[in-house]
Parts: sequence; C-alpha cells; structure tokens
Amino acid sequence: MERFKVNFQVNGEPVELDVRPSETLLETLRDRLELTGAKEGCGLGACGSCTVLLDGLPTRSCIVLTAEVDGSEVTTIEGLAEGEKLDPVQESFMEKGAVQCGFCTPGMILTARSLLDRNPRPTREDIIRSISSNVCRCTGYKKIVEAVEAVSSTETPET
Amino acid sequence: MDREYTIIGTRMTRTDSLAKVTGRASFTADLKLPRMLCAKVLRSPHPHAKILNIDTSKALRLPGVRAVVTAADAHGVKWGVFRYTQDHPMIAVDRVRYVGEDVAGVAAVDEETAMEALDLIQVDYEPLPAVFDPEEAMKEGAPLIHEEYPNNVNIHVHIEVGKVDEAFARAHLVREDTFHAPGEAYSTLEPYAVVASYANGYLDLWVPNAGPHVRAKALSNLLKMPLNKVRVRRINVGGHFGSRSEVSPGDLVTSLLAIKSGCPVKLVLTREENATCTRQVHDIKATIKTGVNKDGTITAKEFRVVYDGGAYSSTGPIATSIPYYVYEEAYRFPNVRYDGYRVITNKGIRGMYGCHGRAFLGGNEMQLDMIARELGMDPMEIRIKNGLKVGEETATKSVIISGGLEEPIRLAAAKANWAERRAGLKEGEGIGMGCVAVMCGFPMGFRSGSACYVKLNDDGQATIVTGICDTGMGNESMAIQIASEVLGIPVEDINLVNADTEATNLDPGAYSQAASFVGGNAVKRACEEAKRQILSFAAAKMNHPVEDLDLKDRTVVSKTDPLKKMPMRWIVREAFFQGKPIAATGAYMPKIDFQREWVKNPYGQMAGTYSFGCSVAQVTVDRETGQIRVPYFVAAHDCGNPINTMAVEGQMEGSVLQAGVAVLAEETRWSQGWLLNPDLLEYKVPLACDMPEIEPVIVRSNDPEGPFGAKEGGLTTRMNAYSAVVCAAHNALGVPLNEFPLTPDRVLKALNAAKSGGES
Ligand code: FES
Ligand code: FES
Repeated sequence: MERFKVNFQVNGEPVELDVRPSETLLETLRDRLELTGAKEGCGLGACGSCTVLLDGLPTRSCIVLTAEVDGSEVTTIEGLAEGEKLDPVQESFMEKGAVQCGFCTPGMILTARSLLDRNPRPTREDIIRSISSNVCRCTGYKKIVEAVEAVSSTETPET
Repeated sequence: MDREYTIIGTRMTRTDSLAKVTGRASFTADLKLPRMLCAKVLRSPHPHAKILNIDTSKALRLPGVRAVVTAADAHGVKWGVFRYTQDHPMIAVDRVRYVGEDVAGVAAVDEETAMEALDLIQVDYEPLPAVFDPEEAMKEGAPLIHEEYPNNVNIHVHIEVGKVDEAFARAHLVREDTFHAPGEAYSTLEPYAVVASYANGYLDLWVPNAGPHVRAKALSNLLKMPLNKVRVRRINVGGHFGSRSEVSPGDLVTSLLAIKSGCPVKLVLTREENATCTRQVHDIKATIKTGVNKDGTITAKEFRVVYDGGAYSSTGPIATSIPYYVYEEAYRFPNVRYDGYRVITNKGIRGMYGCHGRAFLGGNEMQLDMIARELGMDPMEIRIKNGLKVGEETATKSVIISGGLEEPIRLAAAKANWAERRAGLKEGEGIGMGCVAVMCGFPMGFRSGSACYVKLNDDGQATIVTGICDTGMGNESMAIQIASEVLGIPVEDINLVNADTEATNLDPGAYSQAASFVGGNAVKRACEEAKRQILSFAAAKMNHPVEDLDLKDRTVVSKTDPLKKMPMRWIVREAFFQGKPIAATGAYMPKIDFQREWVKNPYGQMAGTYSFGCSVAQVTVDRETGQIRVPYFVAAHDCGNPINTMAVEGQMEGSVLQAGVAVLAEETRWSQGWLLNPDLLEYKVPLACDMPEIEPVIVRSNDPEGPFGAKEGGLTTRMNAYSAVVCAAHNALGVPLNEFPLTPDRVLKALNAAKSGGES
C-alpha cells in the first residue's frame, strides 16, 4: 500500500511518520501516538469532540488526513498544561463546573483556548458562537460559557 | 443559610475533573491492552427475517482473523430484566427482528481485516413480513414478532384506583386529548464501546455502564459463567441518560470473541451503530382523559398509552409505567385508570430515557392548561391546588415524606416573575409551566440497596469502596464529599475505589435516581461507623468523654475545649497497634414495599422518597414560519439538600437541553424499519447557540431519610422541561399541539387545523 512520509510537530515535539493516504489525524494521534485525549464522537465532522489545534486553529481531526498536516504544528489537550501547571482555561472549566462526563471537554477547552488567543476579550455572544462548533450532551453549555468568560476577564489582553 | 456543614452544600470542584480537563481520563475506546484485537459486528439488513444458514468458513480463513462468533457460540440464554420478559438472545439465533441486530462478530488483528472478514460471512435470510407501527402491530392478523406475545403486546400495565367511571359522570368538565411523540436518540457523546479480556477463567470487562453489578449479573447469565468470574471494571462513561443501564448485545459479542480468541478484544461502535444498535427512546402515543370539579380539583383521570417497544422487552414493565408514576407522584388522583401497552415492532431496541414519557407528560400538562383556561384559572393555581403535599399518598399508595409540589412551583414562579411575565406577553410570546415528581430508587429486590466499606490508612487518610457508578453526573465526587464531611478530612485525603464488581459491594447503579439517596446513604453510614471507632479510641487515649469529641481538619477535637485535640492519624495508628484497624461497613436499603410488582401488583411504597420539580419556559413563536424559540427558562428542583450545589445546577441545565430544547427538534425518523437519521449531521442535538438563558433554582426540603437531607440531583427538570415548553407554545398559539416535537411543519399544521376546525 502507498505510504506518505509526514513531518509535523505534536505538542512541541517533532514527529516523523509513514502514513496511509486514508489515515486521519485523529487515528494517528489516538492509535499511533497514544494521545487519546481527542475523542471520536461521530467521525464525520459533526460534533467537535476530536478537536485539536492545527497551527493554533481548532480543527476536527477526524476529517483531516495526516498526510495533509506535513509541516504543521498540532496541539492536543495533553499539550496544553505546562507540566503540572494547568492552562487557565482548564482551571476555569474545573472551578466553574463545566465538566460532567468529560467526553466533550478536551475539544471544548481547545476551542475556547484558541478563541481567547485570537480574541482575548470575547463577548458572551462571541463565546457562544465559537463553542457552537462543539456538541456537549451533558451540561447545557451554561457553565462552559461561564468558564470561558471567567478566563477572559482574568487574562490580560495583549496590547 | 446557616452553614451546618463543612463541605456539603458547597460549590466544590468535582474530584474527577482534573483527569478530564487534561485528557488523562480514560474511556473504554481509549484502552489498549497487549495483543488486543479489533472487533466488528455483522448486522441484520432485514427488519424481520428467518436465518436459514450462516457460513463463517471463508471469514475464518482470512489471514489476521482470530475468531468469529455466532449464536452457535452463545448458550441459548435470553436477556430480559424480569423472568417474564426474557426474550432477547443478544446475538440472533434463527430470526432477526430489526435492522442492525447482531448476527455475528469478528475479532481480527486490525480494523481493515475485521471489516473484510464481515464481507466474507455468508448469511442466508428468508425475509418475513414486518410491522413498524405499534397500533398496526396490535391489530389481528399483524405479523407476530415473538410467539409469546399475542397481538405483539409485550407488556400491559393496568392500574385502577377509586371509581373512575362514576367520577367522570359527576365531573363538571371532562376533556380528552391524544398526544404523540416519536422516538429520540440518547446521543451520549461517547459511542458505545466494549473491551473484554479473558484469562484463567476470569472475564474482565470495561464498558460504559450505569451499574457494574447488574451488568455483571446479566453477563454471567448470558455466558453461563459464575458471577464471581465476570468482573466489570470501573471506567469513565461519556454520558448515559438511560442508555447504559442494561446489558447490550455488544457486551455479549465482545465477551464471546475474547473467550474464543484468548486475546483481549475491543469493539467500538460507530455513531451510526450507536444510534441503530444500542438502545433508543420509546415512541409514545398517549390518550388522556381528565375530569375536574368547578374549582379545578382533578376528580378523575384515564389514560391509554401505547409505547413502541421495538423488537425486544428491555426494561419493558418499568418503561411502560414510569411516565405515569412520575405524574401521580406530583398530583392527587382520587380516581384513576391507567392502561399502558408496550408493543413489539420490527425496530431497534429501546430503553428508559431521562425524559421518558414526553408525549404523556407534556400532553397531561397542556391539557391541564386547557382546562384551567376554560375554568378561568391560572395554570399555576390549578397545579398548586392538585399538587401532592407531605404526608399524602399517591394514587398507588406511596407516602410522600418530604417536599411536595407547591414549593417548587412557588419558587419557580417567583424567580420567573410568573404573573408579571404572563401579563406582559406580547403577540407571539407564551409562557408555560411543567411539573413532575420523581422516585429516588425503585424496587429492584435485594439490589435496591447499597453497601460501602471504608478503611483508615496509617497516614490518617481514608479509602472508600462503593459500587456507586458515575456516568458523568458527579457521583464519584459526591461519595468522596460525603466521606469528607463525616470523617473531617479534606477530599484530597480520600481515595475512591468504585464501580468494580471485584472490589465493591452491591449498588443499584446510576439510574432510578438512587445514587445519592441510596448509595450516598451507605457511604455516610460506613463513615459514621468508622468515626465512631476513631472517637472511641480517642476517648480512651485522650482521657476525655466520647460525646464531647468530634473530627475536624484531620484532628480529633473537643466540642467545648479548643485546647483539647489530637491528630487523627495518631488515633488510627493506635488502633493498628491494638490490632483493631479502623475499618467499617455501612449499608442502606430504602424503605420500599417489596410486595409491589410492576404488572401484577402496582400498589404500595414505590421508593424511599420523591423529589419534586417545576419548570417555567418562555417561548416566542413565528406564526408565518412555525419556528419556536425558547429564550428564557427557570428550573426549580427539590433535591432535598444539595451535596454539591454546582453539580445539581449542572444536572438541571443539562436537562433543559435534553428535554426543554430537544422538544423543538429531536426525533428519530424511519422508513420500513430503517433509521433515517442515525448520525449527528442528520440528528441535530442542541448547540450552545440554541440554549435559553437558564435560571436554576435549588429547592431544599431536607429529606428525613436522605444523606444530609439529599434526594436526587435534577431528574425532575429532565422530566418536566419538555412539558414547560409545550405549555408555553400552547399559551402563545392558543391551539392544541398534539404532535411533538414542535418542529415548524407541525406547528403550522396545528395552526391550520385550528383555523379550519375552529378549535381553540
Ligand atoms: S469526531 Fe470529529 S467532529 Fe465528531
Ligand atoms: S460533559 Fe458530557 S458531553 Fe460535555
């Protein structure tokens, strides 16, 4: 079977892999790199539970081929904390009770992180619009929105 | 409120959330064991057919295939929750009864090989006539799906209390309406998955489940293995809502593959398989007749409810009863007749749902509003008038020991400014109210109770061991919080071993709303016994009366003398020295009438206690397009006393999504036994942008039996949010809305029907 050689960064580490042309980024992360934080909720781009950051932007890894990410930088939920120090979004999700079953949580947190990186002071509407890319079946979204709002009011926006 | 407790009732960060925000929480599909194989299932392409022959020989010859299983490898045991409902072989024997039914399983070295092997299995079918509509299925001459159910009636629950016909004859006003709601998909975000591993005669299973002990029991029956050889292990579960209560065909297939191949096997269902081949929500049609006095007192109720049960029994008798019970637990019915029919059809298997009974509950509440309007009453007033109070009995003889319906109604109304909001409604706006009460646990024989062990470790920390299962709602954190309160040590000093049949004792599981009321009580009792042991050692060691001692901040303290104290770990070590380590057991069995039986004797105490709730929704309706929106929602829930306030709110808010917003769109669509919208592109679940502003109101009735007064954490909202929205829509439109969900086409149809029929 035809294989592609792909070079990219995952959570700051260089990765070099031979991949099948049909291999999705989600399969590569979960099955080959043992990064199972990204989940497969639907496998067709509808739910956002497989979200990772691709060059900083939230991306559904179930519908991206690994062969396409050559030269890119991928951040998964496992790469968000610095050692034991959690990202403020992770902390806020915990404190505000935005986590129930936790299946949507990695994708939600990365989506929120990317929003705050691009727009440090989002309005409530901005937050709702942004996380409406991701399904959560448990929380009713209220505490997720509140968790993101709480981070945006404490993180100093860049000038 | 004066704070009697240290940690109970706080907005504590859930103990499971760190693993979940860092991506380290493992779900079943994340597990990887050495030599693990990949499983795939061959499924029925027919809604109803005889299986004439299955030939697996070609598949077995494919390199990389390690095992193929069919019903020939199973033991001919059928699953059913009750002895009289055992009709589901879980892997088809000589007949398939729904599209997607499990026919054969393959375990191979990788997914591609497993898929290829499925294509090589040859199954010869002889299609049989099928039936999909429950009313059709009940007619004479309809295809019979199981020999043992004449007219395809799987379960008939009949309840009769008082003199129903006489009461209707004397009623001032009688209304009869029929409401229908199609099935829905649970849409837990985690698709179903199973990992099974078999070695040395023991089978270990990781599977999203809502009660490991009942799951292990079911599998030990199906596999004809001793119960102690089937071990269901703790695993994170990505949502439940009723869908993970029961054993699933995938459990059996994966177990058989693991036993046959001698290797661990993982089965992960696709989203489409999850929707088609795990459990679904019942389609319900409810005819509701109500008689009232002039003053709005309900004098008679009569119900005929038809449940589309799909191909097998599942929780049949329970599913056929629960919608009625959560309604009679809220309101006083002096005379009532309930006939619930669960009918077998050639559709996928069904189970209980967090908001099971939507057509019934929404229909009842909308009809109550129609009656109130005719009588010139406020919907709130008629609900309070008929709501049950503490000390009263439900129609089928369950005593209410705490709460009552009035307070949640008043608190919801106050939060929503009910009267002002109602008076100020503009054209196209409406407001509605929905109520239920919910049993905390129900009769499951000796499995209705829970037991917990606790041991104090030599550093003064504790380990608690309980069957309590967490499918996302925070039950694990709840158990730790209770232990922390009783033992006077912080939550980080408490380790939890739970939901693992090898280590934990019986527990009813995370359904029937028993986790905090029953499981939490067992944890509390175990910790109280450990505390008693600690204090009695401390009294001797400190030479101080035991009644004056307490535990606080890892220390044994005097209640009266602040100088008198000793670190707890010293006492724990002293106990080790004396050969009497601190270890305790606690158990709780709710006060239920165990003579009660779902079909044969539906009378007597159903549960230890009941939670009450009221939701208020505001809607806007566009009469041109039929589009409804829900901008504002208040949910008031009597949880007794919240263990974790934030977790209770979270349950209520999630319930608004799954019922209050779902009512606008969610439905499964079918054609000839094929589910047309099994994926998340076609089956649209609400997103953040669809949600109303939600105001959760926690009602405290301080239950005399519950741990720290607690009952259950939010199910009333899940059961009444649907009603609140349909009542609000009815209020806005002024026409009966008999067909749910309230999609634009149905709304326009109802408006047109009213225009031509003149109905108001
Ligand atoms: S799994 Fe990728 S969007 Fe659902
Ligand atoms: S927390 Fe369960 S899906 Fe979001």
